[in-house]
Amino acid sequence: MKKLLSMILAVVMVLSLGAFALADDPVEINFWSMWNEGEPQAEVIAAAAEAYEAETGVHVNIEWKGRDLNTLITAALEAQEDLDLFEDDFNRIGQVDAPYTYDLTEMAEAAGYADHSYPVFNDFSIKWAGYLDSIVEQPNVGGVFYDKDAFAAAGIEAEPTTWAEFLDACAKLKEAGIDPLAQDGAYTNFSFYYQLVRHLGEEGIAELRENGGWADSEGAVAAAQEIIDLVNAGYLAEGAPDEYPASQNKIGLGLAAMVVCADYVTAEVNANTGTEVNWGLFNYPSVEGGASVAAYMGANSLAIPAYSEHAQEAFDFAIFLTTGEWGQKLADDCHQIPADPTNECTSLPGAVETLLAADAPMTWCGELNTHPAWQTMKDMFTELFEGKYADGAEFCAAMDALYE
Amino acid sequence: MKKNKTLIFLFMAPTVICLLLMYVYPVIRTVIMSFFHVESLTASTSDWSFNGLANYFKIMHNAGFITSMKNFLAIWIVGGVFTLALALLMAVILTSGIRFQGFFRAAIYLPNIVSAVALATMWVQYIFNFDYGLLNQLVTALGFEKVRWLGTDAKLWAMIAAFIYGSVGYYMLIYISGIEGIPKDLYEAATIDGASKSKQFFRITLPLLKGIVKTTITFWTINAATFYLWSKLFSPVQTEGSTIVPVVYLYDTVFGGKGVIERDAGAGAAVGVVLTLIIIAVYIVTEKLLKSSDLEY
Amino acid sequence: MEKTKRKINWKRELKMLPGYLVVIVYVAFMVIMLGWIFGASLSTSREIFTGKVLEFASGFHWENYVTAWDSQNVSVFFGNSLLYSVVSCAGVLLISAPAAYVLSRWKFRGSRTIRILLVIAMSVPAIMIIMPLYTLAVKWGIKGRILLIALYIFMRVPYTAIYMLDFFATLSHDYEEAAAIDGCSANRTFWVIMLPLIQPAIITVTIFNFLSVWNEFFMALIFTSSNSMTPVGVGLLQIVNSMKYSGNYGGLFAAVIIVFLPTFLLYLFMSRRIISGVTAGGVKG
Repeated sequence: MKKLLSMILAVVMVLSLGAFALADDPVEINFWSMWNEGEPQAEVIAAAAEAYEAETGVHVNIEWKGRDLNTLITAALEAQEDLDLFEDDFNRIGQVDAPYTYDLTEMAEAAGYADHSYPVFNDFSIKWAGYLDSIVEQPNVGGVFYDKDAFAAAGIEAEPTTWAEFLDACAKLKEAGIDPLAQDGAYTNFSFYYQLVRHLGEEGIAELRENGGWADSEGAVAAAQEIIDLVNAGYLAEGAPDEYPASQNKIGLGLAAMVVCADYVTAEVNANTGTEVNWGLFNYPSVEGGASVAAYMGANSLAIPAYSEHAQEAFDFAIFLTTGEWGQKLADDCHQIPADPTNECTSLPGAVETLLAADAPMTWCGELNTHPAWQTMKDMFTELFEGKYADGAEFCAAMDALYE
Repeated sequence: MKKNKTLIFLFMAPTVICLLLMYVYPVIRTVIMSFFHVESLTASTSDWSFNGLANYFKIMHNAGFITSMKNFLAIWIVGGVFTLALALLMAVILTSGIRFQGFFRAAIYLPNIVSAVALATMWVQYIFNFDYGLLNQLVTALGFEKVRWLGTDAKLWAMIAAFIYGSVGYYMLIYISGIEGIPKDLYEAATIDGASKSKQFFRITLPLLKGIVKTTITFWTINAATFYLWSKLFSPVQTEGSTIVPVVYLYDTVFGGKGVIERDAGAGAAVGVVLTLIIIAVYIVTEKLLKSSDLEY
Repeated sequence: MEKTKRKINWKRELKMLPGYLVVIVYVAFMVIMLGWIFGASLSTSREIFTGKVLEFASGFHWENYVTAWDSQNVSVFFGNSLLYSVVSCAGVLLISAPAAYVLSRWKFRGSRTIRILLVIAMSVPAIMIIMPLYTLAVKWGIKGRILLIALYIFMRVPYTAIYMLDFFATLSHDYEEAAAIDGCSANRTFWVIMLPLIQPAIITVTIFNFLSVWNEFFMALIFTSSNSMTPVGVGLLQIVNSMKYSGNYGGLFAAVIIVFLPTFLLYLFMSRRIISGVTAGGVKG
């Protein structure tokens, strides 16, 4: 027995000596990613990490967490999990994760990040967190994505800019035998929010969110009424609002022409249906006497925990990945908008310019999605597209009922 | 037999440690936490501030929680009635001397060993699909209009139906064991007396199964209260009101999710306590209702 | 289960026709479901989304299986689940068998309380205990595989102990008395004589523990901090999501089949035992 014990002790000592010897090893950073292995983003990131290690000797240890990362990350940061870099919606990084994020201002200045990023996203980050706390990896723009060939077939020459022109386009498409608008249930909140923003602007909606009074708001009633009219005119694709991604796929199958979403919809539809749709994008149509014509812009970004001991290395990798050569590869391989405006956008021509020019973009459902009854609201928005409400006033009265 | 104190101690210690560490301590802490304002799970107890019943009032006034409780009730009552009734029906059929009963029992239990992720994906993408789904194919073949099974008003029921289908097998096996435990001569005597099959079922089988029905009701209640994965899989992009259940609400409240800005571990604990109280209440009520007439056999 | 071949009595069978119909419809539905999943796993996304799964117009896409296996850590997920299941099953037995034995043999101070606690513990919903466990794990710095295995073991102890308790209770005291006369210590008697006597119960309860740990989802979701330790339940969801976002629905269902197969094979060989296990365990509740 004693012999065994001393042998175990010896082994432990040797092992721990080995561990000490290894401690001098090159730097290793832990990166929690929101992608899953097998997704194109994951492949580019893994390749970039290898290239980065070859160049700097810093090993990037990647954990593929998938989209569930956004429910795990805050708890992980609190528990000071061993990580140096993570991905999340830049909105959540700025508003929820901010207390645990590293102030990137100095490093960004030193790296000349301003020339390789969009002011609009940096401004938001600073507004929410008080300092620059995230590096954009995947910018998104929203609007009406459409099949150019379907528009041509229906004889629509110009992209609609107003609601009236939009309805006109819908009528032409329907006449040509193409369902005008695909709509999945998962995105009804986004579509209706767009319509609300056109009438009230985000500030107007924030006020309604706070105090209610939807039925007394002309804009809210009109927005709901317009959706109801759209539905009653039969402009939604068959089965819409459908279960994601059934409705949006109809564009790839040549059954529908338009969808209100963000730019990732194009890659999704192409892959799901095995086609290359001739995509076009126009801003969500404006309404008469409306308050805003803002387009949705958002981003998935990279951030560094405040307690990270390798913040500089993590920051350097973030820049390495999102700008220059690898930034271009990310944009090309994943059909997304480049995070670095000096790169070229191959998937959606003109997107870079739009983002650079943007000053007051629309957010994803603004503050509505922090309303305690948000889950119920989302269902009501879907019901709006299902034609469950007789008119806009009835819908708004139902919204007000949530405030009692 | 002689008591061997050392042996008892050594043999019991690991289990007792397990009970204390995994069950007693966490349950007590969760109960206490539900009366405090606790923002995050990792906050030290010195940051907890006593909150009285405020967490409970908070969730009772939260639309998300109220919807989740309504959905829970639907799952528990409707799902429970159908699951247990179907299970009993299957059990009676498969103990009536039918052929291939071994195969049928195994086949009906099969969904219990398949990952729920696989099952739910199939239900959502195939059975309930609007354009080419199995149900809508049936519906159109019968000459009716296609139904939006996953629309806001049908989705909960679609999810419950899928869940029932997978759950029946387990309860069926429990009932089978009960029925097989009933002495055969009771039925033989009844047959001689000229009692019909259905009469035998209501006069003999059902009363003698009371104890087992009680058990299955408790099991089902726990099952319904801890319902999580199916809800998640039936709202793939983000939590939806039509399928939200208490555990999903709790998870979002405690860990934060898309659009959840403010986290509240205390409120999450209160949700857990409410669910546990419901389970206990159901247990006591069924125990009271089904006790007196439990026959010995 | 039929032991002897019966001669078919058509009149009798006809009477049971409604019964046959019910179970046949139920099982047929399952066959359609599984058949569709299998068909989908050999189709392209476009075929799936146009409802042409069982036509195989573009041939059988076996490469979906290659993609599903290659692009993902399926083998790692399997390895982890296997590790967790095997180690937990062994750990659970080591902890609960002695306790079940002692509880079935002797009354001592607290024995009643422990029995009741075990029964209650079986019904405690995971959400009641998961939050403090998370806090404890963070505070004590326990994480990774060890943490998950410990949780799985503790999760299965109450059920296993209660299950085995009943079997020990049916054993005669003569065994121990004979062993004592031969000068065998109580400790040795348990491990060498008593434990092997309830082997059938051990096998059944182990199958249950195995399946339950293999398919576990909730704890794994919350407590794994690295891909290298993800078990199949959570892993499959990751694959499903990844395939969904990259639009490879054929690969998605191929992954579903790959993950389904091992449990299905296990079930094919052990269904009889599993079923008798549920029926035996269920009544005791």
